[in-house]
This record gives sequence, C-alpha cells and structure tokens, in this order.
Amino acid sequence: MKKMAKIKTWFISKKLKQKIRYLFAFIIVAYFLIFALIYEFVIKDSLQENISKSNYNTLISIGNGLTGEFQNIGTMGRLIMSSQEVIDYLKSDQGADSVSAYNAVTSIYYTATSFDNISSIYVFKDNGEYIKISNGITTVYKGVMEDPDWYGPVEKKSGANLVMVDGNGAFSQASGESVLSFVRVFNDIQTQKPIGKLVINCSLNMLRDTWREMAGDGKKFAYFHKKDQLLCGDAEFEEMELNVADSGDNPRNMRSGAGSFTYYYAIPGTPLAVAEHEQIRYTEYISTQILVIAMLIVLVTAASFFTISWFINRFITRPVESLVGSMEEVKSGWLKRVSMKLPDDEIGRLKNSYNDMLVEINSLIEELLEKEKTMQKAELEALQEQIKPHFLYNTLDTIAYLALENPREEVYDSIETLGNFYRKFLSKGSREISLRDEVEIVRDYLKLQKLRYEDIFEDEYDIQESLLDMKIPKLILQPLVENSLYHGIRPKGEKCLIRISAYEKDDEILIKVYDTGIGMAQSRIDAFMKGDSKSYGLRKTIERIRCYYGREDVYEIRSQEGYYCEVTIKIPSGGEAETYVQSHDHR
Amino acid sequence: MYRVMIIDDERALRSLLKKTIDWEELSLEVVGEAASGIEAINIIDEIRPDIVFVDIRMPFMDGIEFSKLAIQRYPKLKIIVLTAFDDFTYARECIGIGVADYLLKPIVRTDIQQSLKKILAQLEQEKGQDKNEDTEDGKDLRMKSIKEYIEGHFDDPELNLKSVADNFGFNSSYFSRKFKEEIGRSFIDYLTSYRMEKACRYASRGELMYITAKLVGIPDPNYFGKCFKKYYDVSYSDFMKGERSAKKTTVSD
Repeated sequence: MKKMAKIKTWFISKKLKQKIRYLFAFIIVAYFLIFALIYEFVIKDSLQENISKSNYNTLISIGNGLTGEFQNIGTMGRLIMSSQEVIDYLKSDQGADSVSAYNAVTSIYYTATSFDNISSIYVFKDNGEYIKISNGITTVYKGVMEDPDWYGPVEKKSGANLVMVDGNGAFSQASGESVLSFVRVFNDIQTQKPIGKLVINCSLNMLRDTWREMAGDGKKFAYFHKKDQLLCGDAEFEEMELNVADSGDNPRNMRSGAGSFTYYYAIPGTPLAVAEHEQIRYTEYISTQILVIAMLIVLVTAASFFTISWFINRFITRPVESLVGSMEEVKSGWLKRVSMKLPDDEIGRLKNSYNDMLVEINSLIEELLEKEKTMQKAELEALQEQIKPHFLYNTLDTIAYLALENPREEVYDSIETLGNFYRKFLSKGSREISLRDEVEIVRDYLKLQKLRYEDIFEDEYDIQESLLDMKIPKLILQPLVENSLYHGIRPKGEKCLIRISAYEKDDEILIKVYDTGIGMAQSRIDAFMKGDSKSYGLRKTIERIRCYYGREDVYEIRSQEGYYCEVTIKIPSGGEAETYVQSHDHR
Repeated sequence: MYRVMIIDDERALRSLLKKTIDWEELSLEVVGEAASGIEAINIIDEIRPDIVFVDIRMPFMDGIEFSKLAIQRYPKLKIIVLTAFDDFTYARECIGIGVADYLLKPIVRTDIQQSLKKILAQLEQEKGQDKNEDTEDGKDLRMKSIKEYIEGHFDDPELNLKSVADNFGFNSSYFSRKFKEEIGRSFIDYLTSYRMEKACRYASRGELMYITAKLVGIPDPNYFGKCFKKYYDVSYSDFMKGERSAKKTTVSD
C-alpha cells in the first residue's frame, strides 16, 4: 500500500506530457502481457490439442498401415498353405533335398516374390525337417522350437499367426538385425489338420516403411514389441521410460514439455506399439493469418497511441505549456497578456479568462500606482511647496536681527525652536507622525512666525490626551495653520486667535484649525470643494489625507466671512490607513 | 547722499538691514521703510528714494506688482529685490521689469554692498545726463478738478502724488510744492485724511476693518490701521466700539 502511494505521488508529480508517456508505456506493456497470457493459456493449449490430434491420426494411420502389412503376411501365409507343392512336401516323407522339397521351395519362392521385406520363410515338418527360402543368412535353432513353451502358444492360435521377435530366439540373422517372425500352424487345406508349421520372417524395414512417409519435420518414430521392447527407431527412445501399464486402443500422449511431445499407440491386433516423438516450435504452428492479424492489431494500437499522443500534445500539452510559459512571464514583472493563437476550446477559453483576469489585475495595479503616484506627488509638493527653505531663510534673518538687538536668551530660544521645528518637520523622512509631534511642529512654527510678524495672533491648543500618540500622516496640520495665518489672519490686520483642537466623536477623530481671520465666503468654499481655488497647499493636503485613508469624506469647512474660519479634518477612529499604504511604509 | 527705502513685511528684516549695513560708508541714507507695497506707494513721494529694497512675497501687493508700478512711475528708481525664494521664474520676471538686482535671503552683507556699489556707479553716471528735468512748469494748478479727481479715485490703491501729477501733466516735485501752497497740507496728508473720513463713515456702519481698508483704497489693513490711529488717535476697533456704544446711548436716549 505504501509503495502504491509512493507510485501515486511520483506519478502525480510528473508533467502532463510525461504522465501521458508513462501511461502509454504502461498500456503497451499491459497489452503485450495480455497477449502473452492469451497465447500461453489459450492459443498454446489449442495448438497442443491440434498437434496431438494430428499426431494421433498419424499414429492411427501408421497402425492401420501395419495392420495392412500384417494382413498381407496373413495372405501370403494362406497362399503358401494353399500351395499343392508345399502340402505335398509336408505330406511326403522325403527330405529337404528331395524333388518335392525343391518344388515346394520354388512355389514358396514364387509366392514370396510378390511381397516386400520378406527376410526368410520356413516351412517345418512336425518331425523337425524344414524347407526355407532366405534373403541373407539366417540361422535356425531347432532346439528352441522343441520347447513346449515355444510351440504351445503357436498351437493354441490354431492357424492364426503368432508374431514374435526373432521367433523368440529361434532365428537369428547374420546381419544381426532382428526379424519379425510370423509363426502359425500349417493346416492341411483339405483336412484342416496340422501338418507342420509356417514361419515368415520379415525384415524390420516393413515397420520402417509404415512411417517412412510421415517422418521428418522433427518427427521421429519407433516400434516397441510387447509395449516396452524397442524394436526399431531412434536411440533416444531407449532412454524413455514409457509408462504403458494402461494401454488402451487409442493413442496416448506420453509426455510433453519444452516443445517436445511423445505419443504412444498400441496397435490393436498386434503385439506392437508405435511411438512418436515430435519437436515443435510453436511459432511454426501459428498460422500466418493469425500472425498478420496480431501484427495488424499491434500496429493499429501503436498508431492509435501515436495519434492520441500527438493529439494530446498538439491540442492540450503544448498550448498549456506555452500558456504556462506566458503566465510565468508575469513573475518577472509586467503582466503581459497572452497573445498566442489558441483554438476556441477549453484551453482557448482558459486563455481568455486569464487575459480578462490580467486586464483586471493590470487596471487594479494601475489604479494603485496612480493612487500611490498622486500620494507621493502630493507629499513631495507638501515638502517643496509648504515648508520650503524660504521659511528657514526668513527666520534666519529674523533671528539674526534678534542677535543684534536683543538679550541672548531670546536668540538662544529662537534657534532652539527653529532646530526643533526642522527636526520634527523632516522626521527622518517617515510618512507618519504622532499627533503630539505634529502639534509640536505647529507650535514651533507659530512661535517662529510670531517672531517674524510680531503680535498678530494668539495660539491655543486643545488636544484630547488619549489622541496624542495616534499616528497621522505627516504635515496635515501645519499647512492648515499656515493657510489660516496667510489667508485668514494677516489680511485682517487685527490681532486674531488660532485654536487647534482634536477630539474623538462618533467613531471619528476630528482635528480642527479655527481662526478668527477674514474667513471665507460661501462661494469661495464651494469653489474650493469643486477644486478650482488658489488654496493650493490646502487642497494638496486634503488630497493627501484622502489618499492615505482611502476615503473621500475627510474634511469640512465652516466659516463666516470676516469673522472666522474652521477647517475640520475627519479621520476614521483607530486611524487605519489603507493596507497598501502601510505595507509600503515598512520597506 | 542717495536715499534708500526698505519695503518688507517683516519689521525684523527691515531693522536688520538698517543695522547691518554701514550706509554712511557707502554715502547712503535709509530715509524710509514700508511694511507693504500699498504703504510704499502711498509714502514713496514723500520719501523720494533713489534705491528701494523690496521683498517679493507680501500681502495685498507683492514685490513684483510694486516694482512694475514703481518703475513705470519713477523710471530712474533703482530696485533691489530681496527675497527668500530662489526661484527662476521670479528672477526672470524681475529682470524683465527692469529691476536693478535680485538678491537672496538670508542676507549676506558683502553681496548687498557689492550690489549697492554697482548701483551707485550707475546713479552717478545717470546724474550727469538729465540735470534740466527739474525745471518748473509755472502752470497753475486747477485745484477744483484735482480735488474732484482725488475724490473720484481715492479707492484706487495705486493712486499717489506722482500718478495725479502725471495725470494732470505736472512735474511731481512742482506739483507737490504747489499742492502744499494751495491746500496748506501735503498731498499725502490730504489724500489720507480724505480716505480716513470715508473710513470713519464705514466704521460707523460697522464694516470690518479689512473691508473698510479695501473700500477706501488702502487694502493693507495694517497700514490702514496705522493711518487710522494716527488720524483719529484711536484704533479702528476701539473707534467702532465707541461708535456702537454711542449709537446705543442715542438709541436709549
């Protein structure tokens, strides 16, 4: 199970292309395995059966041939027994070298010439005399024939042939080869009384002739006498231990394996059995038709695999790969749309959705960039436009005058204020600042302005204690105060009040700059809200606050022309800026 | 001795400039100062400066506006712009107007001295060229029409002795002298008192000071306040308070 899981993870981890390849390889292997199994268990069996059947038929036809030969021998016997000359010889008392003997031999000889494979023919009188014809030299051991064990079974046959090998030891050929002896009692044709014995010895070629036409092609034959005595055939049959205890009338498969088959057939009506050994290569037995079909199937399958593989590669893998390639460019920076041509299928639609998504993302990014740009521009402008070196230069001149004119204490105080103001004002370049520090900036700023413009205003502060450590975007208060001073108080020409207050109300933090300057006419307020106004610094500040908090409603202006003006900055409680701005800060 | 006027909205700067430069050594004399362009236009005919230091960023009438007007009316006037703005557009504008020099704050004495020396040399050169301009016209002033003109234009902040003299075709110093002979007061006294009388009416109507200032042609409420106090010996706000209580008493009476 663990292994299976391992294989599964391995397979899943592969690329689509590889997956398909592995899958195809697996299918092809499975295909061949099934083919092999079919061959092994179905085709081979039926092949074996076929081979066996054909071999049985061969053996039966060989058996039939032999039975035919045996009948021929029987016929020959009857011909000899019906020969008057032979009967005369048997009935006469004359010896083997008599005329009647000579006549009998001649008659036998004539009969014999029309049969093949006759080695020798003997006709015995009961007294042991005999006549013979012989092809080659044959020795007779008459002593053997006098044994009742020998002649008993012959007489029992009462006229039928008893087949023996070498006449059970009564005959031997000079050539050393065994002969097949057909021994029978010689009955007088008229009286049907035994008058002698007839022995026809056949050469083993008679047996060989029966398989001559079948042999070859890896087929070998052999004859056994009394089931297990090898008569003729190849030596390899000698080594065979044939289990022939049960010998039916049908041929039997004795042994098969490793492409070799051995069949055995006890030929009915004879003491002989024929055996066949065949060495087979199965391939030879698979018909070309089957082979062609099999090859075709393999080819068609392979072709299908290639087609499917090509199709998958062409319409799925490659488009997906190039799509992935295109998509990976996104990592390297700009979100480029995929412009390659894809068919209008699922993958094409995937591309389209991806592109749509990119367009969406791009516009979002652009929006963010635009926002960020506006923000940065506003900040930069705030720095460049609002507190501006000229403030420093002017203040330096003021302090220079103080140094020439006034007690040293005052000069020191001014320089300290100026230093403090600029340190907080620059605040290490960070974007956020605590309300405490921002108020401090304003305080110092107004202190320095008082030095410059003398006694034209009073400043008051009313800041809710708990808000002092709240972070706010830097320099949102100072521009408002500057605006009050230059556009509200100085044009009035009278002593005015600036009051800065901050407090929390209804989930909002309100930071107010109130002055008793000339105020603004409603028409000017409206113009400012619409965006066309000369209050450049104020508007930029509002823009910055909007960007920072990501909301539109961040300020309010209330005024009575000639009497007062109050600008209120409204920021969400908790002061949560938009996340992107904050994350930006941590760079 | 050439005459120097300093125009800057910061008293500290004006004082610093007076104190830190050795004017006598340059044979110069600081004869007057103004806290705004408006004030300067009003008093320039009395002060009759040869050289003017002027700041750019001032309320009601900035240094550039003033310079334009001043050079138009007093072509010989040498104007030194003294500003904390190191701004190319300003500098170009000033040069275009015909400003003599453009200096930056915080002030550096040697820069100012060099600039003054250069300007003094120019003044010396010009002195020889137009000596006979100071001739008298000999014409009589038609006081009635001049008074009408002032009454018709008193709310114009740019109105001053020079502009009136020019309008009636007089040499300004002749006009000044003749005006004083005829009326018994200087032109500026006459104009200011006329404006203050008007202002008094606005004050009794309850107008805020900065609005009254605008209405009577002194849109710089600081200078207006100064004039008002000088004229009535009481500040505008106190004057208004007095008016209001007076009204109340008349109503209750």
